[in-house]
Amino acid sequence: MFKILAACGAGVNSSHQIKDALETEMGNRGYNVQADAVMVKDITEDMMKNYDLFTPIAATDLGFTSDVPVVDAGPILYRMPAMAAPVYDAVEKVIKESGKG
Amino acid sequence: MSNLATDPLFNESEVFISDASNQEEVFREVAESLYKRDLVTEDFINNLLEREANYPTGIDMSVVSPKIPNIAIPHTESEFVKARMIVPIKLNKPISFHNMIDPSKEFDVKFLFMILNNDPEGQSNILAQIMDFMARTSENELVSFFKASDPKDIYSFLNRKFMQYAKDNN
Repeated sequence: MFKILAACGAGVNSSHQIKDALETEMGNRGYNVQADAVMVKDITEDMMKNYDLFTPIAATDLGFTSDVPVVDAGPILYRMPAMAAPVYDAVEKVIKESGKG
Repeated sequence: MSNLATDPLFNESEVFISDASNQEEVFREVAESLYKRDLVTEDFINNLLEREANYPTGIDMSVVSPKIPNIAIPHTESEFVKARMIVPIKLNKPISFHNMIDPSKEFDVKFLFMILNNDPEGQSNILAQIMDFMARTSENELVSFFKASDPKDIYSFLNRKFMQYAKDNN
């Protein structure tokens, strides 16, 4: 199981769209992925340790450093395949490199 | 049982045409009306202003088509709203917003889809529906829609298109 943390300002709309899109697309590509959606302000160093990938809407300063790979997922929000594909490919690359999923 | 994917997301009474000239002005104008109708809490406006400053919601539509105006999707955390709906706001004067996916960039916005969402786990994602509307409606229809100045026309078009796309997705 490959675990993804999606985040946005309110934890309501954008992060849930990223979560749904990544779970669906990575599932279609044959990976076992689970994503959670949270507010950026709620993310702690301890929380981040539970995830294999961080996918914020935009580049985000969390106030701490983390070894968890980061893929900015904002372009997924457009719901246009041409814009989402590079993000999906970047996520798939991290999954492959992790050996999980 | 409610089918969230096809439930109406618009209310004919909650469509705004605003002459505001900055974010705070339009947010206060709309928030005051929503509060009077018990659709948001008293703290809604403060969270809305704070959130937009820290996590902007402008969406650059020029990457889709230069003919389509940029939009923004201002919203708050769930605890400040009492409904699940979209409030369309046409801006008679373009207002500057920062880009949601690259906050260092700023551009003029002519239409807001304010999202009230007290059920983030709901089966259909409101933002996804807004972006489906922007991506699937033809350029000519969007250009015409964004010129509309009658709240009834704005409501009718949005309600029809969102219902159509939701049914297609089902």
